[in-house]
Amino acid sequence: MKILSVKDLTIEFHDHKLPERAVEKVSFDMDEGEVLGLVGESGSGKSLTAMAIAGLLPRKRLNAFGEIIFEGKDMLKIPRSELRELQGDELSVIFQEPMTALNPTMRIGKQVEEPLFIHHKELSDAERKAKALDWLEKVELHDPERVYHSYPHELSGGMRQRVMIASAMVSDPKLLIADEPTTALDVTVQAQIIKLLLRLNLKQKVAILFISHDLSLVKQISENVIVMQNGSIVEKGKTKDVFDSPVEEYTKKLVAAIPEVRF
Amino acid sequence: MSLLKAVIKKLGIILLTLLLVSFAVYAAFELIPGDPALSKLGTDATPEALAALRHEMGLDKPFIFRYFSWLLSCLKGDFGISLSYGRTVSSMIISRIPVTVFLTLFSTLITVVVSIPVAVLMTKYAGRFFDRFTYVVNQLVMSVPSFFAGILFTWFFGMILKLFKPGGYVSYDKDLPGFLFYILFPSIAVALPKCAMSVKLLRSSILEEADKDYVRTAYSRGNSTMQVMYRHVLKNALIPLVTFWSMSVADMIAGAIVIEQVFNIPGLGRILLSSIQNRDYPVVEAVIMLIALVVVVMNLLSDILCKKIDPRLKS
Repeated sequence: MKILSVKDLTIEFHDHKLPERAVEKVSFDMDEGEVLGLVGESGSGKSLTAMAIAGLLPRKRLNAFGEIIFEGKDMLKIPRSELRELQGDELSVIFQEPMTALNPTMRIGKQVEEPLFIHHKELSDAERKAKALDWLEKVELHDPERVYHSYPHELSGGMRQRVMIASAMVSDPKLLIADEPTTALDVTVQAQIIKLLLRLNLKQKVAILFISHDLSLVKQISENVIVMQNGSIVEKGKTKDVFDSPVEEYTKKLVAAIPEVRF
Repeated sequence: MSLLKAVIKKLGIILLTLLLVSFAVYAAFELIPGDPALSKLGTDATPEALAALRHEMGLDKPFIFRYFSWLLSCLKGDFGISLSYGRTVSSMIISRIPVTVFLTLFSTLITVVVSIPVAVLMTKYAGRFFDRFTYVVNQLVMSVPSFFAGILFTWFFGMILKLFKPGGYVSYDKDLPGFLFYILFPSIAVALPKCAMSVKLLRSSILEEADKDYVRTAYSRGNSTMQVMYRHVLKNALIPLVTFWSMSVADMIAGAIVIEQVFNIPGLGRILLSSIQNRDYPVVEAVIMLIALVVVVMNLLSDILCKKIDPRLKS
């Protein structure tokens, strides 16, 4: 079953005199429970593509055209209110910078619970807290009760990224967009987060769109991969095929540049 | 334990500050020219009478001795006797405290209650007409001094709309509602420039916060723009404002002199002004000590409040 279908997605900056295309005619599909890697160097448009799918493009500066069909709805055409109903409920995002992605003046528990607070008003405070604690435990944080009452600055970067994952998963989304989730973390923590994401994919059946500039990571985590360059898709297919026998010149160069590191 | 330690440390700093202020104030009256005994008796007093009075007032004793005896009696709550009125300083000041307290309280309340929604609306329409228009009006309000706004209010609300009798101050112990209504107008006049400054500060503080990563996270959870504002941005944006507001409270108490003159209100500012003119130094010293106390206490309060809002400040 397809859960996401992107068709001819084009993103333009419109605060310049001339419209500048950051993403051009990007099309791809995602199945339920699939892990799809989206790789490319910085400026390739991979993050903008992800933000467009998440409905988080700064509309003052960017225009998006084409279709992003998620749950049968075109994310680019539905009204904001309908989009908000999907955000944080059916579709969640984790970001690159766990140090700044959490509100510094709000307790962890409240932030993890927030998607439930917004989308599942029927739950009582106690039920929300129970779910949040459960998720803090599922993302392998020790002493969830203490973390629940902490503030972000009291946790390390790796712990905060786990908190972000708990908050993203608390409402059981169908799609998780992970925008360079491990780039800001050191290598051991990186490996733990990757394993955690894979386990969530397996157990919760959540589809993961994994954006990274790090090909060796994508190689480990995703079944399928899309390679982007200068706003367009260069190559896509099964990760194994793309990495073992790349067709395009750019992909060949990228693959040749992967350092051999195994976890 | 660490909390107790912090409290003791804070209290120590407060006491030290007050001690330094008391010394500075007392020393200042020693340095500036003018003889309280002479000003009390007049220039044609005989040297004998002058010497007798100076002895009676303790002016013939060494400075340090006088300072410590004054400090000691201050600690007992005795600030001496006014040189020009012959009443105890504390009785003179205490009767004026409610006036200044209400004036300051109203002004601060107006500043906070008005500036928050105005700044929030401005940032909601940032760069659009409402924002630009309000920005200009705000700049205008900021540049109008309180006393001039006070004169305009007296003319417009007092003389044209006849909402209150210009200069017709109503004492709080005679007619409390009348007093509160009368004091409202000078309070607004004092609040206006402070409010404009708050709006400017808060607007830029909100815009700065709105650019931060956690705001994007909040949107990604399905918050609407206003939910992001009230649940996430505003609390963070208010942190610098707390300090500004607490400082402006101290500023209002000391700076109310002019507005009290315009509205004929017998507050602390007026007593300070007249006692400086008359070299009534026991009164001046007491009022300045009071202002110093307010400044120090407001500082402490803003520290506590900031720590309450921003948990990062605790460590």
